[in-house]
Amino acid sequence: MPDTDYAVVLFHSTQAAIKAERVLLRQGFSVKMIPTPRQLSSSCGTAVRCLWEDEGSVRAALKAGGVEWEGIHRLTVRR
Amino acid sequence: MKVVDARGQACPQPVILARQAMADSNELTVIVDNETAEMNVSRMAEKAGYRVASQRKDQDIFIHLTRVVEAQAKPLQACATDEWVVLVTSEVLGRGSDELGAVLVRGFLHALDEAESRPASLIFMNSGVRLVVQGSKVLDDLRSLSEKGVEILACGTCLDFYALKGRLAVGQVSNMYSIVEALSRADRVLSL
Repeated sequence: MPDTDYAVVLFHSTQAAIKAERVLLRQGFSVKMIPTPRQLSSSCGTAVRCLWEDEGSVRAALKAGGVEWEGIHRLTVRR
Repeated sequence: MKVVDARGQACPQPVILARQAMADSNELTVIVDNETAEMNVSRMAEKAGYRVASQRKDQDIFIHLTRVVEAQAKPLQACATDEWVVLVTSEVLGRGSDELGAVLVRGFLHALDEAESRPASLIFMNSGVRLVVQGSKVLDDLRSLSEKGVEILACGTCLDFYALKGRLAVGQVSNMYSIVEALSRADRVLSL
């Protein structure tokens, strides 16, 4: 299986992450809620992971849905 | 040879009857009338060191059990390992907000799948069984754990209670006997 590039969206609050997932799922994005990867933040947080190729449209969807995010990071998962 | 007639008995009765008979027989036949009972009895007997052979006659299933491993052998083996199991008794993690609890349980199972050390079994009980049925948001992680050799057991009574019996999407239906065995065999139990 080839490596997969993900966009990991970090938020200021867990509530925002929950809302983001709801907004993105409603729009048909392939998303998964994950614990914030250690290399991205030392805080105990929940992040939303989507495909890197959707990064642009995810930003737009979050903006349109009124969800604020802290940052979006590229994460490559080797299989 | 001892014959145990467990036809018409509801779960977990066939397993109880078979177990009692196994205490003083190295060779026995258990008769059941459904596949769930066949599976439960077979699994219990295999774990106890019996060779299992099933035979169908009309509506009945004859399960022939022959002891192949000395009763003493198993505990010795178990001592050499560090086997741990995770008991999930709710579809949410912890008390407080259920919305948060649902997020936490998903995070937990994802992290568990990525961890280096993995449990021998994941046992789902009460509303925890909602995590192993169709529509659950943690199926990907559970399937991945299952592919890595983690045994996933769902309490049959619980699936039945929540009317989810036909919707199991990962793992296998289990009964209280197998669950108690898995818990007591483990060196460590992590209860959620």
